[in-house]
Amino acid sequence: MLILSRKLNESIVIDGRITVKLVRIDGEVIKLGITAPADVPVHRQEVYEEIRLSNEAAAAPNIGPVPKLSAPQRASSAALGLQPLTEMLPAKP
Amino acid sequence: MNCIARTETDNPVERDHCVVRMPLGLLGFEQYKSFTLYTRPTEEPFLRLQAVGNPKLAFLVVSPFIAVPEYRPTIPNEDAEFLALQSPEDALVVTIVTVRGPGRATVNLKGPIVLNRHTLTAKQIIPLNAPTFSVAHPLPVRGH
Repeated sequence: MLILSRKLNESIVIDGRITVKLVRIDGEVIKLGITAPADVPVHRQEVYEEIRLSNEAAAAPNIGPVPKLSAPQRASSAALGLQPLTEMLPAKP
Repeated sequence: MNCIARTETDNPVERDHCVVRMPLGLLGFEQYKSFTLYTRPTEEPFLRLQAVGNPKLAFLVVSPFIAVPEYRPTIPNEDAEFLALQSPEDALVVTIVTVRGPGRATVNLKGPIVLNRHTLTAKQIIPLNAPTFSVAHPLPVRGH
């Protein structure tokens, strides 16, 4: 791991297109300002890991039997007009 | 099976307009950029998100509002720009379902997938209010 020392308002540049700036030091919390192109996702690591693990648990070679919603939810989803989710996408020729 | 955007029986993988582009992929599955979104009549309101190029990678998704009618994820501005969303009506939100066994399923409200329903570009986003949501919110389902 590369370790660099930075003072307040100093930055590092990654790959010529990502800038990470130390914008605030508040006790044990530091605030980083990150400037990156839109195609570079930036996440807090613990949140990324939580969602990655959830995605992996959900990913399936065979989804298997698809559950049925219990009756009240079926009714409420229809009432909300959500059942025709399919109709919300454009039907292009 | 029906392509989501049409009602006739067809193979959705072969229809360009049924392919959802996810330029950044799903978290942990960044290498897959294209998915086919379709439904089977017997499985509604669930939809399937099938990776193009990998028949073994599929996700079950559903409208999050079925689990939580008052669900209101706050989409970060950068994500709205990335998806070219002009108004809330342009967005379609689905959430990934984890089937955990007979009668047990959860939805990920912390990492919803937002689609621009006009361009079919999508991104798994982390809402600004994500800390208030669970990655495993119970979905009321019946046993098989």
